[in-house]
Amino acid sequence: MSLRQEGRRRVAGNTLAFLKNHAPFNKMKAEALQFFADKAQLVFHPAGSEIVGPAAGNVRYFYLIESGKVQARQAGEVTVTEYSILSLGAGESFPIGAVTAGRPSTNLYTAVDDVFCYQLPAEDFLKLMASSPEFNLFCTQYIASLLDQSRRQLQLQFAQRASEQQTLNSPLAGIGSRSPVSVTPETPVRRALETMSQAGVGSLVIVGEDRRPVGVFTRSDLLDRVVLADLSHSAPISQAMSTSPFMLEEHATAYDAMLAMATNGIRHVLVTDAEGKLTGVVSERDLFALQRVGLRQIRQSIEGAHDVASLQQSAADVRQLAFNMLAQGVGAEQLTQFISALNDALTRRVIQLNLERHNFDGIEWAWLAFGSEGRDEQTFSTDQDNGIVFVCNDAAALDAMRQRFLNFALGVNQDLDRCGFPLCKGNIMASNPQWCLTLEEWKDQFASWVRVPQPEALLNATIFFDFRPLFGKAELAEAMRRHLLAQTSSSPMFLRAMAHNALDVEPPLGKIRDFLTDLEPDQPGKIDLKKYGSRIFVDVARIYALATGVHNTNSVQRLRLAAKRLSIRDDEVNAILEGLDFIQLLRLQHQYLEGEPGKQGDNLINPDSLNELDRRILKESFRQARKIQTRLKLDYQVN
Amino acid sequence: MFGLKHFLSRPGSKLSPDVQDAVEAWRASPPPQLDDAHFHVRYVVIDIVSSGLRPDSDTLLGIAAVGVQQAGMVVPEDAFYLDFASLAGDSDAADRQLLAFLQFLAKAPLVTYHVPYVGGFLQRAYKESLGIDFQPQWVDLAWLLPSLFEEKSHTPQPLDHWLELFGLGGSSEGRRDAMDNTLLLARIFQMLLVRATGKAIDTAARLVAESQASSFLRRHH
Repeated sequence: MSLRQEGRRRVAGNTLAFLKNHAPFNKMKAEALQFFADKAQLVFHPAGSEIVGPAAGNVRYFYLIESGKVQARQAGEVTVTEYSILSLGAGESFPIGAVTAGRPSTNLYTAVDDVFCYQLPAEDFLKLMASSPEFNLFCTQYIASLLDQSRRQLQLQFAQRASEQQTLNSPLAGIGSRSPVSVTPETPVRRALETMSQAGVGSLVIVGEDRRPVGVFTRSDLLDRVVLADLSHSAPISQAMSTSPFMLEEHATAYDAMLAMATNGIRHVLVTDAEGKLTGVVSERDLFALQRVGLRQIRQSIEGAHDVASLQQSAADVRQLAFNMLAQGVGAEQLTQFISALNDALTRRVIQLNLERHNFDGIEWAWLAFGSEGRDEQTFSTDQDNGIVFVCNDAAALDAMRQRFLNFALGVNQDLDRCGFPLCKGNIMASNPQWCLTLEEWKDQFASWVRVPQPEALLNATIFFDFRPLFGKAELAEAMRRHLLAQTSSSPMFLRAMAHNALDVEPPLGKIRDFLTDLEPDQPGKIDLKKYGSRIFVDVARIYALATGVHNTNSVQRLRLAAKRLSIRDDEVNAILEGLDFIQLLRLQHQYLEGEPGKQGDNLINPDSLNELDRRILKESFRQARKIQTRLKLDYQVN
Repeated sequence: MFGLKHFLSRPGSKLSPDVQDAVEAWRASPPPQLDDAHFHVRYVVIDIVSSGLRPDSDTLLGIAAVGVQQAGMVVPEDAFYLDFASLAGDSDAADRQLLAFLQFLAKAPLVTYHVPYVGGFLQRAYKESLGIDFQPQWVDLAWLLPSLFEEKSHTPQPLDHWLELFGLGGSSEGRRDAMDNTLLLARIFQMLLVRATGKAIDTAARLVAESQASSFLRRHH
């Protein structure tokens, strides 16, 4: 090898080290990567300088940012200027479309700060596209290829967690409650009972000042040692607790805990760190959850359930199964539909159990789901949104009939709450007389919202127009839908008001930074993926569905069908749907990986905590949100 | 490799005729125009590996160099790497490699960090092997950086400190080899070219003069 070849090999080696850390290069074959590294030139662009723009003629290079930030700005006369600026960072490349087509760039690319770029001459870029399928896919289907890669990474991450979670060999440190409810031995019995009641738990750990457990107090102790022993409520809890609780260290396995429970006849094992300080509690139930549960078993147990207690068990199994599916790399669309399907079955069973105490024979009625449940888009933390539609031809009997439905609905709402679907804070529930209406009343209600699109009506439209029958006579819901679509497709003013509303919130893309993370004043550094992400897609989907007469409520289906009617290109729609899918997947992942077991997860993510690939896809997903908003803006002339 | 021992052990200092001819051809070749804008000048950024810090007694072990063209472009094809250890003491091969490096340089202005160190080793190597007084046009980053990037530091700093100041320190996990070092110097030089042009130091001749002046001023005042 000549000394120059050796020199080139080493310079390329330096470039390779960079490429290996960035998609799509890290997935490309060694030969293709070497080709890129051999040909790529490293160039410096000082802050404020133009890198490439429409005036530079046909694009001569493919640029890959090595360090620094580049701003892309749409050149020329642009009406929606605030939508046309975006920022690119290390590992991102431009202008892919222009260099592929051999035309001038439509965007102006400027260095925001000092930037180093690898530039690959256009002819070498085209050779690379021809020789590397991975690179080709990246350039032609930008998001799709990144998504695919991210999904595989996610799969790996979950699979790891799943296998950790699901074997009896896993350490106790990762099982059960990590923040057990505890009190000190001096705590009065009354105070201790209040603590249990507030936390909704059946047992308490009593710990000394050094956090070492000294006893356990359970509900059965309450009967034996307080009530029957006639113990004063102001006595310290230490007089009522069981002393010398069973403890295991964190690194003991689930198997150890199971054995201990079986041999000692206990239901809880306290978990401590090496110093004997309390760090958690593992219950019998936690250990059962480790064993895999299957879809069929869950359905069977839901359908065969005879009381709410066994449905509660099934609800927990649904979560576990959903988790397993995430681990197997199932996409967000299928997963949310799957969660919805099982939740539907659960809700139906709750309704059936309640119907045993109510008789609606001879009355036409249906149970309706609204909001995310109505759209088949439930994530792990969804509260109830439901209502009832019924037919009553005798005006004199209406009030009495409504009252019967309300009584019934109250039972269903409460049972659903016990199964892990919290009561709706906005009281959008069938037990609220406002949402337990006859078919005619619903029609009038819908019509009045469409006729007078005031803020409250528009807000209601975003919840109630996404309805779906869960139980009873589905034809009633169909009649509501036909009525609604007839109203909306002939009310451009209403749709325009909806569009205006939907454009209130913009995707949190920064002009210089990647993301705006200060939109929620009490959550600095975080992005609400629902409010600034999925809701944008959902809102736009609803408007186009109402405008084009699409009967579906699911956002993905709405967008697909509406796009066909509006002749939007397939690849454009697919990119949008992939963006939505990714944001939903991130929400699910966040709720599962970071949410505490059994607690309501939130939608707040810190983009800095994502890996580079996911950050880029998230950015691209937000760009897709921006794209459909721009379209909506133009279609409805909203400024 | 180019130690006193090596020099003494060499029977006479006869070069192979073809090497001798090539050296003559190099001597006769015209130097590049240095009063042209940076864009038209090819610079060569260089770093060396040695057994110690004293050019007159320690040994030169390797050279890593890259060209910087068109006012700041590093092209992988324009690079050079010489490792004397691979020659196992073959002095004719060493002569030829040093000759190849001369040809690679093509009398371009040389950029490095701390000329007395790098230049000292090269000078001795060329004197002992090809009998050449190696006196290229030098650009010394060690002295130019504090005068052109005063806001970062107005006094000379160790190279690692400059890398930190330029935000180039992060990637250097573990040991860097000579080429990694050269590429880092090239990056600093790319930034320096932009800065220099902004201060009307817009030709190679002026940049070389500025380098000389800054090192002279620093040392004598």
